Amino acid sequence: MYESKTTEVTPMERMMAALNGQKTDRTPVHVYPRWAPLEYLGLTFKETWDDPDLWVKAQILGQERYQYDCVIDYDMMGPVEEFIGTKLKYPVNNVPMVKDPVIKTKEDMKKANWKLDPRKDGNMPKVLYVIRRLKEELIKRGHGKQQVPIMTWGSCPARTCACLTGFDRWFEIIIEDPDWAQELMELALPTWLEMVKAEIEAGADTVWVNDPVSAADTISRADYENLCQPMERRFIEAIRRETGANITMHPCGNWHDRMDLVAQNQADCYFLGPMDIRLCVDKITEQNKAGNACCKAINGNIGAATPSTTDGKTVLPYASTMNQSTADEIEGECKEVIKAVEEEGDLRCVLGPNCWAPAKVPPINYDTVVYAARKYGQYDGKPQA
Amino acid sequence: MGILDEIKESIIAMKKTEAIEFTQKAIDEGLAAEEVLNKALIPAMSTVGDQYEEGIKFIPEMLMSAKAMMGTLEILRPILTKSGQKSKGKIVLGTVEGDVHDIGVKLVGMMLEGAGLDVVVLGADTSKEEFLEAVQEHNASILGLSALLTTTMAGMKEVIDFLKEKGVRDKVKIMVGGATLNQRFADEYGADGFAPDAAQACVLAKRLLDEQSKQRSPAL
Repeated sequence: MYESKTTEVTPMERMMAALNGQKTDRTPVHVYPRWAPLEYLGLTFKETWDDPDLWVKAQILGQERYQYDCVIDYDMMGPVEEFIGTKLKYPVNNVPMVKDPVIKTKEDMKKANWKLDPRKDGNMPKVLYVIRRLKEELIKRGHGKQQVPIMTWGSCPARTCACLTGFDRWFEIIIEDPDWAQELMELALPTWLEMVKAEIEAGADTVWVNDPVSAADTISRADYENLCQPMERRFIEAIRRETGANITMHPCGNWHDRMDLVAQNQADCYFLGPMDIRLCVDKITEQNKAGNACCKAINGNIGAATPSTTDGKTVLPYASTMNQSTADEIEGECKEVIKAVEEEGDLRCVLGPNCWAPAKVPPINYDTVVYAARKYGQYDGKPQA
Repeated sequence: MGILDEIKESIIAMKKTEAIEFTQKAIDEGLAAEEVLNKALIPAMSTVGDQYEEGIKFIPEMLMSAKAMMGTLEILRPILTKSGQKSKGKIVLGTVEGDVHDIGVKLVGMMLEGAGLDVVVLGADTSKEEFLEAVQEHNASILGLSALLTTTMAGMKEVIDFLKEKGVRDKVKIMVGGATLNQRFADEYGADGFAPDAAQACVLAKRLLDEQSKQRSPAL
């Protein structure tokens, strides 16, 4: 048995301190809890989309059940892309997906709705409603003090463009017409910036942004460096400037060959994909020390704690580790991740999977992550925050 | 550089217009369509696949090369059909129901066509009934199932179970792929093979075709 020191620190204090590079009692846990709460209450995603209060209920009760340290709004819904003109498909038990992209030719750019007001246009107000309701409920349940932070989401310009053009067309545009790709990203950046500003205004405490279309298994390092990365950095810096929020970036997929560039995006935290944890820690630390980055924490990345994959080519499993592995295996992964992130002393670990925690994860595996954070993630000495 | 090399290099260099022009020239000069396919298109796409594996080419470059190759096939296909050229095998591909991501199946489809297979791409969000119908209608040797999301990949098992239920499973080899998949899932779902990317999918398809032809023509 081990002695728990976790009773006096709230998830809000623990999570926000870690995102700022500070220590409290222990490593926080953030699993991007979309499916765990839905499955806990036996709900489909569509049911909660049709009734936002159900989403709020699921998030609150899910957090209380599993004791991780952060709740989320709908996340990754594409309400901005939908308002701009892309048609989405709404599956019964999944998030909406791009069905019919709005931009197929340059001419189509004229018919897109680039000017948007998140407070009144399309489905964006629904996302803001969920954030406001989460805030109210969390304050109520904390007897006047919010004890669990709300993380909201924003889409990096390259991802937004891929949703507006279709993914295969986006990849063609990058090669055939980089100037057009740049023009599209210039138009896309302010749309999601407006949405993120509204999300923070509605009560979100922190934000994560992601890019699943610029990984090493999709585009070249040169295309990332010349086209997408500068726009990601501008997006992240604009969010910080406009909202003051702490920002986590999720480079989704394998970014081994460009983690040095990713680190320069100026995010406070990187939510790592299926990548070697030690390689990522080394590259981020290197950029921090050179003054090119300001990373304070790493979120992840259970399923990638394999020391033999620093070749940058080995394919690591996605978040499937969470539903395929035993509790013992998960505990071992958690231990390795915490050690790898924390041992140099400069970075805080926010324990979680290496992408969205998938559907049908055995509850014991979530419990194991929280258990492992309590067991292996305790800090010695007085908390800094 | 001979005309076949010109075609091959144009495809590798993503130059669709040139690839089509050289292919037309080759046919006009009397080269057999089959020779162009076997000595230019197939080696070109094989090189593109290798370059992807080596991290030299990426998805945009693969897509562009595949499109250049598909342009040349527009010229070759009618000739191959007319001459009764026997296909190396027929494969039905699609993304499972509820998943609208189809870039993977499109890419795999083009790579397999470049490898000389007859390919039927059903596209995204395909129901198990549509997969069954396509497998039966085309007498497919292989069924390729794709899914990008952890939430939709279980749909692969539903398709495989449905084919079993309908008595078709043993007549077709099934390969699966998608970013979130791995061999363990493929085994759990009851697939015959798993490929992590388009280049590996070609290698796997060839292996499954060999196995399938042995099963369909057992030694006496």
